[in-house]
Amino acid sequence: MKVIILAVSCLLAVSGALAADTCYQDVSLDCGQASNSLAFRRRSLPRCNAVYGEYGRHGNVATELQAYANLHLERSYEYLLSAAYFNNYQTNRLGFSKLFKKLSDEAWEKTIDIIKHVTMRGDEMNFDQRSTLKVERKNYTVELHELEALAKALDTQKEIAERAFYIHREATRNSQHLHDPEIAQYLEEEFIEDQSKKIRELAGHTTDLKKFITSNNGQDLSLGLYLFDEYLQKVV
Amino acid sequence: MKAILFALAGLLAVCLPASATQCHVNPVTIPKEWVTMHRNCRMSMRQQIQMEVAASLQYLAMGAHFSKDIVNRPGFAKMFFDAASEEREHAMKLIEYLLMRGELTTDVTTLLQVRAPERKTWEGGVEALEHALLMESAVTKSIRNVIKACEDDSEFNDYHLVDYLTGDFLDEQYKGQRDIAGKASTLKKLLDRHGALGEFIFDKKLIGIDI
Repeated sequence: MKVIILAVSCLLAVSGALAADTCYQDVSLDCGQASNSLAFRRRSLPRCNAVYGEYGRHGNVATELQAYANLHLERSYEYLLSAAYFNNYQTNRLGFSKLFKKLSDEAWEKTIDIIKHVTMRGDEMNFDQRSTLKVERKNYTVELHELEALAKALDTQKEIAERAFYIHREATRNSQHLHDPEIAQYLEEEFIEDQSKKIRELAGHTTDLKKFITSNNGQDLSLGLYLFDEYLQKVV
Repeated sequence: MKAILFALAGLLAVCLPASATQCHVNPVTIPKEWVTMHRNCRMSMRQQIQMEVAASLQYLAMGAHFSKDIVNRPGFAKMFFDAASEEREHAMKLIEYLLMRGELTTDVTTLLQVRAPERKTWEGGVEALEHALLMESAVTKSIRNVIKACEDDSEFNDYHLVDYLTGDFLDEQYKGQRDIAGKASTLKKLLDRHGALGEFIFDKKLIGIDI
């Protein structure tokens, strides 16, 4: 009898049928076992897990999501350094510092949120995982002046937003194995909407700052930077 | 002909920067006598910041581990994710202090690196708590070394930083260690006879559910 069940379950596993009673079969098998050793039990019920929709078995959505957490983690600590740089006594731009601190906090929170989501889908977090997307990024420098730093922040936020688009595309290819509406929905709700606002905001900042810098033959430069920093302190 | 082109190009190169927009204010100099931190103290502070960052990443890995479906310990996961954020805040506090003392005008980019945490699985809650306790002990020891470096400088005893580290950081370290040690003991006693049940109940307690 056991042999037959085993054969059936193997067959099911191979065919990869969706929503098969795999956990139930594991339980039926396991609870019928004479063996009662703890070590055996701990490794038992291998298919009673949170994995569904063949998560992590095809395509690269699962690994890209891990990489997305790592991207947020790295950017979070880079933003933290930018926040620090603008808060030293020589630069002394508290508004810019505040802007970067907020970006850092947000990226940090997202890191934890993505990690939780990775594990929610029955996967584990891999902190070494990087995206398969070819990214051309030079070494990050935080010692930049105001407009350069804003430009860098804008580029970075676009990088993060476009990565969400990429994972979303990978998750919605509509082929049998590459369709994961749960991940698509997660990205849309928790990332994509806010990202567009953030990018628009930073783009607006660069427009304003650029105008202050170039107008009046550059005579407004120092006052413009000062005032814009004061403004950032109020609005960020 | 080539020589003329060269000369022209050279002339352009010289002229160009003058015609480009200046986007930043030129640096100014103000007296620096007030910036008094010494090298050894500064370097040990920088190392301490990196250590706090590394601890934050290790706690993230613990949070990730206990969030897994086959581990399913949300209480432990929450505790470790919170600990990760706390370590990040420690790093920020140390950075704030350096800024207050006139530091971090240069070499800011090199202050910290994000490296994947070394360890990513634990046998159970007790093992993770014991690992956390060892990690905190190492951080405490390291803070003591920073204090030593800032105090023992023959030319400049950095009283204020020493006081800050002793009063704020060591205080928090010792209290934190006591908390983890208490948890580890309680859990280990529970596990003595009732392994699976004990950890389950303890985990729910961590997340605020009384069973």
